[in-house]
Amino acid sequence: MTVPLSPTRWRKLAGRCAPWLFAAPALLLFGLFLAGPFLMALSYSFTNKRLLAPPDLGAAWVGLRNYERLFRDPEAWAAARNNLLFAGVVVPVQSALALGLALLVNRHLPGSRFFRTVYFAPVATTLAVVAVVWSLLYLPEGGAANALVDLATLGRVGPRDWLRDPGLVLPAIMVLSIWQGAGFQMLVFLGGLQAVPRDLLEAAELDGAGPLRRFLHITLPLLRPTTVFVLVTTTIQSFQLFTQVQVIASGGASAPLDSFRTTVMLLVHEGFRRGRVGYASALSVLFFLLVLAISLLQRRLLKGSR
Amino acid sequence: MKRRRARAALALLVPLQVLLAAFFLLPLLVMVVSAFKPDELQLLSDLAGPRAFLPTGHLSLHNFDRVLRASWFLRALANSLLVAGSTVALGILVNSMLGYALARFRFRGRDLLLGGVVALVIIPFEAVAVPLLLLVNALPWFGGATGWLDTYRAQVLPFAANAFSVYLFHQAFAALPRDLEEAAALDGAGRWRTFWSISLPLARPTTATVAILQFLARWGDLLWPVMAVRSEARATLPLALQTFFGQYPRHWGEVMAFATLATLPTLALFLAFQRWFVRSAVSSGIKG
Amino acid sequence: MAGRRRVAFLLLLVLACGDRPGTTIRLWVHSGPGPEREAYAASVAAFNATRSDVRVELTVLPEGTYGDQVHAAAIAGQLPEVLELDGPTVAEYAWARRLRPLDGLPALEAARADLLPSLAAQGTYRGRLYALGQYDAGLALWGDRRLLAKARVRAPRTVDEAWSRRDFERVLWRLKRVGVARPLDLKLNYGAGEWFTFAFAPLVWSLGGDLVDPATGRARGHLDGPAAREAMGLLQAWARAGYIDPAARNDADFVLGRSALSYVGHWAWPTYHKALGRNLVLMPLPRFGERAVTGSGSWCFALSAGGRHPQAAADLLAWLMSPREIRRVTTLNGAIPGTRTALRASPLYRPGGPLALFAEQLDRGLARTRPRTPAYPAISAAFAEAVNNVLAGADPARELGRAAAAVDEEMEDNPGFAGN
Repeated sequence: MTVPLSPTRWRKLAGRCAPWLFAAPALLLFGLFLAGPFLMALSYSFTNKRLLAPPDLGAAWVGLRNYERLFRDPEAWAAARNNLLFAGVVVPVQSALALGLALLVNRHLPGSRFFRTVYFAPVATTLAVVAVVWSLLYLPEGGAANALVDLATLGRVGPRDWLRDPGLVLPAIMVLSIWQGAGFQMLVFLGGLQAVPRDLLEAAELDGAGPLRRFLHITLPLLRPTTVFVLVTTTIQSFQLFTQVQVIASGGASAPLDSFRTTVMLLVHEGFRRGRVGYASALSVLFFLLVLAISLLQRRLLKGSR
Repeated sequence: MKRRRARAALALLVPLQVLLAAFFLLPLLVMVVSAFKPDELQLLSDLAGPRAFLPTGHLSLHNFDRVLRASWFLRALANSLLVAGSTVALGILVNSMLGYALARFRFRGRDLLLGGVVALVIIPFEAVAVPLLLLVNALPWFGGATGWLDTYRAQVLPFAANAFSVYLFHQAFAALPRDLEEAAALDGAGRWRTFWSISLPLARPTTATVAILQFLARWGDLLWPVMAVRSEARATLPLALQTFFGQYPRHWGEVMAFATLATLPTLALFLAFQRWFVRSAVSSGIKG
Repeated sequence: MAGRRRVAFLLLLVLACGDRPGTTIRLWVHSGPGPEREAYAASVAAFNATRSDVRVELTVLPEGTYGDQVHAAAIAGQLPEVLELDGPTVAEYAWARRLRPLDGLPALEAARADLLPSLAAQGTYRGRLYALGQYDAGLALWGDRRLLAKARVRAPRTVDEAWSRRDFERVLWRLKRVGVARPLDLKLNYGAGEWFTFAFAPLVWSLGGDLVDPATGRARGHLDGPAAREAMGLLQAWARAGYIDPAARNDADFVLGRSALSYVGHWAWPTYHKALGRNLVLMPLPRFGERAVTGSGSWCFALSAGGRHPQAAADLLAWLMSPREIRRVTTLNGAIPGTRTALRASPLYRPGGPLALFAEQLDRGLARTRPRTPAYPAISAAFAEAVNNVLAGADPARELGRAAAAVDEEMEDNPGFAGN
């Protein structure tokens, strides 16, 4: 015989369930599409799992073989090198440019709003579009990039095949990425700048501090959390680099892959194109560890500033 | 003295701004202008000089006409709107609910859950993409069908729940004053009513931020469509553009027309909601 | 008035078609720059007109992504009943049991018996036939008579007169000397992909090597062996001497007279013939090593294992392999007809025809099939990337070593790949 729940007990039970009912949809989705696949990646990375195989063929345990291969694989090293080079240039340059733009726009010169809109406009264009447009600018014969270089060097540097030259393709991709990404971070810096108290700056000015000193000793220290955030997100984005590179690679004859293929693109090539799920999973796990390390570093740096 | 220095700074900074504006604007200008040049040879020979930015020579809508008729542009645009739109809508719902639960309920395991969400923020999509492909390929759907490859749901459901959005909602709800909600509760409103008609509307700025960030991420994504989408009938704009770009023989005028058309919706959205974009950029800066 | 009646008639026809009892089967084909697309539309329309019980739904997918699309559909278990495959990928799908063996299907016996041996080989995996090709492909050297005359070069006409490697390099040197910008067009503008393997594996074979061990499927000692290294060295030497343009982007180099020789397949015939007319000469491939070797193999049709209507699918395949349909497509794309009957009847390829040389190369056993193993995609990708890097100036031994290692990892990962 079941005892019917009394209204108060019913309410209590409902109260205990309510938070979980609110949480359930998102938790379900997280479990299915994020945590689940992550655990799958972890376990596949120790097997020879293949994307396309006979229906009854399972995956076999191969121990650490995929990881050992990764460390020997020149393609993986080339991809890691490309990401590091990209991050090494793009993170400082793009962040500095974004900070500069924010300072410029923040001076409230005539037309500031207009310039802010212009600097941000590339952000509103998707990366695939950016890659396509810049491919046109980079054309080897009569492209705009070559015309510009010709003009700047007074014709001393001949035309280059930007996207085919193994030494130039990565720098070319860096330029278009900075072009697209600087505007967003300008806005982030602008937010940070607006939080810098005006009276502090004015007081320093009355004390006779020049603009450079005010910037170095007041603005920059106060901007530290914003700066750390910008540096870290740009670093993580540098390691996630995919869309631009993929579009350029799919646009027909391209430079040798190792001169510009990134880790994520290698992930897609191995896991999807070549169907080597086990190997790609090992790469995924290492990629995760890398992003984790950068995030932990950010947390530590931010803690230092508070 | 001070005024003179200010004027000197102005004389230096204005040209600098113009130069920077040229750097950011000219590539976009080349795109739009080239799209109006139906003569491929003229387009290419214009590129090496200032005529690349100028609507000179023979101009027409021919390229746009070709893109709209002979490519999958319109379908891809509709797909992009559908995919990004439904991800955002579903995302707002589930993420705000979880954020609300974490901010406003006291229950056992709450701190653990919050820690878990913060930890999930770190897992990059790239690290789960390949196994997700296998998973999605084996998932069942109503009516006994299995395999979600090449469907809309495979492009929406995995991206609806977003840890960073949950985190932002949690911050927003935690910062709301409690008295309005308490008043509603006294009036006999249940938790859901309180959440839906009091708290969520009050968190509108956060909702806008979350919507914009998620929309931009879905709108521009190429990684997942490359793997999970097979047919042009399900392709979003970046994938359709990649296919169009890779077609042989390539017609730059048409590619630029495609690119221009693909840019217009986001550019218009940005100009219309500039204020919200600024806010979302700023609040993405408080992460961590 | 008449217009309205026509509309009504069409409507009736549509309704009648929609109402037709029976089965629908799907057919996927690729569409490249060539005109195959129209041929298949016509073939399918003709088939549908003759059959009241079966309707074929044709899907044309762009060549650039066709392989990926088929791959994705195979993973998802959503392959169409009948599909086109690039010859060397048959083995992988057969191994993964996504294809239906064609042995013992009565509808296909006639086509099978008539098939060119090179195509029979291409469609066979572990002793069973999985694919039938309407046409085969071949490699040859096209020449521009005016430029050759200018350099006082006599073009060989038959396989027996083929240039040796020394002859060939001397010809390149003389062409360069008389001012031909890039004497040899290797179609490098096609980009690093299947073309690189189709074009340059014959170079390795001609020099006495192979891509993988025919018995074990392992690449070490073959893909990075002496013959492959020599072949890569050849390409690099030609690039260094300015005979080829390693960064070629333009498909029209040969047509525009920037190149005097074009190393490419039969498919260049319509364009070249139109552009050069009587000045176009077709020459056999040079003997780079002991003997000349040309590639073979092309797109072919297979039935998917999961298809619901095997009988109708087999009927469609038999229809596509009929002499009339083979003639339809090969007249449009200029390919080598895939059955003996169709080959004999072809005005282009029959003895004395302008492209008879391709048939002779096939007939004399000069043609080789690319490795028939499920590892082929890995082999081809690794080899093509090595070629691309070598063309950009990388060290052949190092690049080929990497390629061989990649293939052997694939073999190690998949014990089921080994053996034929």
